[in-house]
Amino acid sequence: MSNALILAEATGTWPYVAASWALVLGGMGAYALVTVVRGRRLSKKVPSEKRRWS
Amino acid sequence: MTTETAGSVETSDSGPTSTGSRTTMILGIVTLIALGVLVLFGLILSPADENQGEAVRIMYVHVPSATLSYVGCFLTTIGSVVYLWRKSQWWELVAYAGAEVAALFTAFTLVTGMLWGRPTWGVFWVWDARLTSEAMLMLLLLGYLAVRRLAADYEVRAKRAAIVGLLLVPNVFIVRQSVQWWRTLHQTPTLSLSGAEIQGLMLFSLFTGFIAFTLAFIWMVIHRFRVAWLEEQVDAEGLDAAIAERRAEGVIS
Amino acid sequence: MIMLSDAWLIARKDLKLELRSRVALNQVIPFAILVLVLFAFALDPDRGLLEKATPGLYWVAVLFSGLLAMQRSFSVEAADGVTDALRLSGLAPAGIYLGKTLSVAVQLLVLEVLLGVGVAVLYGTSITGWLLLIATIVVATAAISTAGTLFGVVAAGLRVRETLLPLLLLPVLAPVLIGSTRAFEAALSGTPSEGWPWVGLMSVFAAVYVVAGIFGFGPLMEES
Repeated sequence: MSNALILAEATGTWPYVAASWALVLGGMGAYALVTVVRGRRLSKKVPSEKRRWS
Repeated sequence: MTTETAGSVETSDSGPTSTGSRTTMILGIVTLIALGVLVLFGLILSPADENQGEAVRIMYVHVPSATLSYVGCFLTTIGSVVYLWRKSQWWELVAYAGAEVAALFTAFTLVTGMLWGRPTWGVFWVWDARLTSEAMLMLLLLGYLAVRRLAADYEVRAKRAAIVGLLLVPNVFIVRQSVQWWRTLHQTPTLSLSGAEIQGLMLFSLFTGFIAFTLAFIWMVIHRFRVAWLEEQVDAEGLDAAIAERRAEGVIS
Repeated sequence: MIMLSDAWLIARKDLKLELRSRVALNQVIPFAILVLVLFAFALDPDRGLLEKATPGLYWVAVLFSGLLAMQRSFSVEAADGVTDALRLSGLAPAGIYLGKTLSVAVQLLVLEVLLGVGVAVLYGTSITGWLLLIATIVVATAAISTAGTLFGVVAAGLRVRETLLPLLLLPVLAPVLIGSTRAFEAALSGTPSEGWPWVGLMSVFAAVYVVAGIFGFGPLMEES
């Protein structure tokens, strides 16, 4: 009985764990994507001597 | 899964017309490896906690996010101070990039905190001192970003945002202090988010989380900084072009 | 010294303006009383909720009506190029800051006294712990007006200032709301010793903002 309860609790937390990790890693990926895309779009408008890192 | 999508983005930005450079490409690859190691240890190899169960795995992303949200705030305040003192645009852009990335990590902290709270406390939100001050931090950062993104001249935006940024860290301290007193005066000390004692693989997972998230933070700040720099260049150039156009009109008529 | 006399000049000018235009009298104060009445509508007045929640309701009413007074204090400067005139006047920026803070603080004090009377009459709250109440009102007013003036200038002259100022100011003032409410609760419940740390915290807050305002006002004034 108590074992089954612990098991149910353990499986019950996995969705929350998965959601946290997915949201954080997904959020990072999405932010990285948006930043890189914006950078590419803006880079075309700026002469390369002003982009001192490239 | 999600790391892979981020991977194709982060590694393929080495083209000539982008915010990437050799350094950031290497940094991006190292970040991805670190995130991969984090997934391996955090989700698979490390054991479940005796008290918290599987929910302890949320800590490996939650705690580093919270720490880096504060690091971002410090970056913003330092950048704002140097900008007001030396009129250095470089530092102003550091402050801006730091604030935006800090807001992202604050959002992560809040979301993971709530997702941890639901299975642990039974509710998404409790007026825990740390969660509340993190929420206030989010609002303070949104205020800074709102000022920084005003539709106004660069000088106006930057200077006003720098005043807000200058006060960011003092505000965070005062808010934290007041929220802590507020909660501890009324009920027993708040439930601590970090486990009582973390050892072995769990400690290693948390440590990996710190490294991976710090690398990701640096990568994001560098890229955001460059995007901000490009934005200001485009802004200034647009203005120059408009002035040149007007002058040309004047000559003709 | 010059800074202080400049501050006095600005404060007198602002207060004279308020006295003559009567906007505070005719609009802000009625609004403050309206807020008190709305709270009574929202919370059932028969169950003693109002009396129990008096400290919180009082300070929320002060914050919201004070926000109106602050908006007003800077829309006065934004019109007709007054900002340029102020800049050309050669007054010390720190003096201008302190002067505006002083005038906002005086208006807030008037508002707080009236709201205090309103709370005592409308909510039937019995008032005790006078020393702590007065100390709280003084430091909270200092905190709200120092921060409000600084962020008021950050938002001044912008098209979005009506929406920007609350967004900037209210999160910043959260510790003041917490502190003043707890201190009032302590005073009204007859345990004033619990309230004094909050008075200390709010004094630190006000001190931080006075320093930031004195040094930050110069750069803000010379822009654009």
